Amino acid sequence: MSELFQDLVVQMLIGISTGLILALVASGLTLIFGIMDVVNFAHGELFMLGAYMGWVFFTMTGSFWLGLAAAGLCVFVFGLIMQRSALRSLIGSDPLTTILATFGISLVLQTAAIWIWGPTVRRVGAAITGHIVVFHLQFPVYRLLVAVLSLAIIGGLWLFMHRGRFGLWIRATTQDRQMALAMGIPVPLVHTVVFGIGAAMAAVSGYLYAPILGVDPTMGVNNILRAFIIVVVGGMGNLWGSVLAAVFIGVLEALAVIWVSPALAVIFSFAALIVTLLVRPTGLFATVPR
Amino acid sequence: MLKLQDVQAFYGKSHVLHGVSLEVEDGQVVGLLGRNGVGKSTTLKAIMGLVAVQSGSITFAGNDLHRQKAYRIPRLGIGYVPEDRRIFPRLTVLDNLRTGFDRQGASAARTQQLLEQAYASFPRLKERQRQLAGTLSGGEQQMLAIARAMMLDPKIILLDEPTEGLMPRLVGQIREIIDVLRQANVSILLVEQNVPMTLAVSDRVYLMERGAIRHEAPASELSVDDDVIHKYLGV
Repeated sequence: MSELFQDLVVQMLIGISTGLILALVASGLTLIFGIMDVVNFAHGELFMLGAYMGWVFFTMTGSFWLGLAAAGLCVFVFGLIMQRSALRSLIGSDPLTTILATFGISLVLQTAAIWIWGPTVRRVGAAITGHIVVFHLQFPVYRLLVAVLSLAIIGGLWLFMHRGRFGLWIRATTQDRQMALAMGIPVPLVHTVVFGIGAAMAAVSGYLYAPILGVDPTMGVNNILRAFIIVVVGGMGNLWGSVLAAVFIGVLEALAVIWVSPALAVIFSFAALIVTLLVRPTGLFATVPR
Repeated sequence: MLKLQDVQAFYGKSHVLHGVSLEVEDGQVVGLLGRNGVGKSTTLKAIMGLVAVQSGSITFAGNDLHRQKAYRIPRLGIGYVPEDRRIFPRLTVLDNLRTGFDRQGASAARTQQLLEQAYASFPRLKERQRQLAGTLSGGEQQMLAIARAMMLDPKIILLDEPTEGLMPRLVGQIREIIDVLRQANVSILLVEQNVPMTLAVSDRVYLMERGAIRHEAPASELSVDDDVIHKYLGV
């Protein structure tokens, strides 16, 4: 088989697995935007905070899975507090106010992380080690696990939103906040809980990423950019649009790496972003049912 | 039962309600007539807590509505059918109705009963219960908006221009629904521009102009040709 074909297959695989991790970050972001029109500039720091929380519990217990649960739970609670204290009263006002508020929180969290844990990169051991061999490449099984877990969590979120009362409240509030109030839905509570869920999703993906990237205070800033691109390409507020866009961006960058250096690959994501904004500002996947 | 006293409200920065006072008694159908933009819809939104009330009072069955959180107001038994229907377009018909299910003290049996009542009043909706509400016709969406409000087991329903843009046949159907609700002892505050229909179904009507009530009379004492109707509604 030709070398190019092998490269294509291998890079597709890498792209899809990276894309699914990104999908987890981006779907939290898009969920929050969709329901309360808040562009959460602290999302990357919630991702980072999740990695640290998980790392703390991982080093305490030695269990990868306890670390995962702790990352999700701690940051879920943190998200509830953050929304209730800093954001609730700003919802519905000028978008600039929530951008400033979340940006401020992101700075505080980054500085706090440096203060508490220092700039050293911390390590979390992968839940499973080992590789599968795909042509010339040793592909870590852990990456596959992360991709499957990400998809499972997003699927779980979808089920939560489509079964039961609270999920119905979330969908109704996303579509028409005022009418949701007029039907007796406790919209402020729905907003707070959704923010907590979005924060937990960022946290879980931060922790799942930790064995690959290491944990350090700037990991949020360095990785959140793609999530923002994905949210716009997928259509702000559109969950499955974000998942598709994440895989699309993941594969696009992975394929680009065949021809350009990895550092330049992100340019292709920006190109996708610009094309989206020019051609279909509502998102490339705007026709995907939300 | 529902009483507004000297309600002043702003919509953004514009002063829309300049002291609205009106009252709806138990089991009554009350019409609120006026030209476009005189504050009829804002009055309903003020009752629902969807616009900020600056001063004055709104009371319903002993509760001060203007001091309540907006989402508690419908739970007291107030259904709202807004002007542009505002159904949840990407929810199914059934899910639209389910948004009203959660009320304090509503049992599963009562909920099921309400759903059956709604479907009995609007058989079309039962046929289409699995369909996304956004794909319904305008008339069907209006039916859904009313049925959705009925799911709250309301003591009063605020109806904002339910006949706007509907075919005459459907206007007749809305009239029938109002009669059915009246028989079930549900009060109605009906905002309309359709004068003959409003006079026919209402017990009492208020005429509104520039953010205040200008005239009040039993519907039976007014006719389409009256001077006051011309004054406040004539073109």
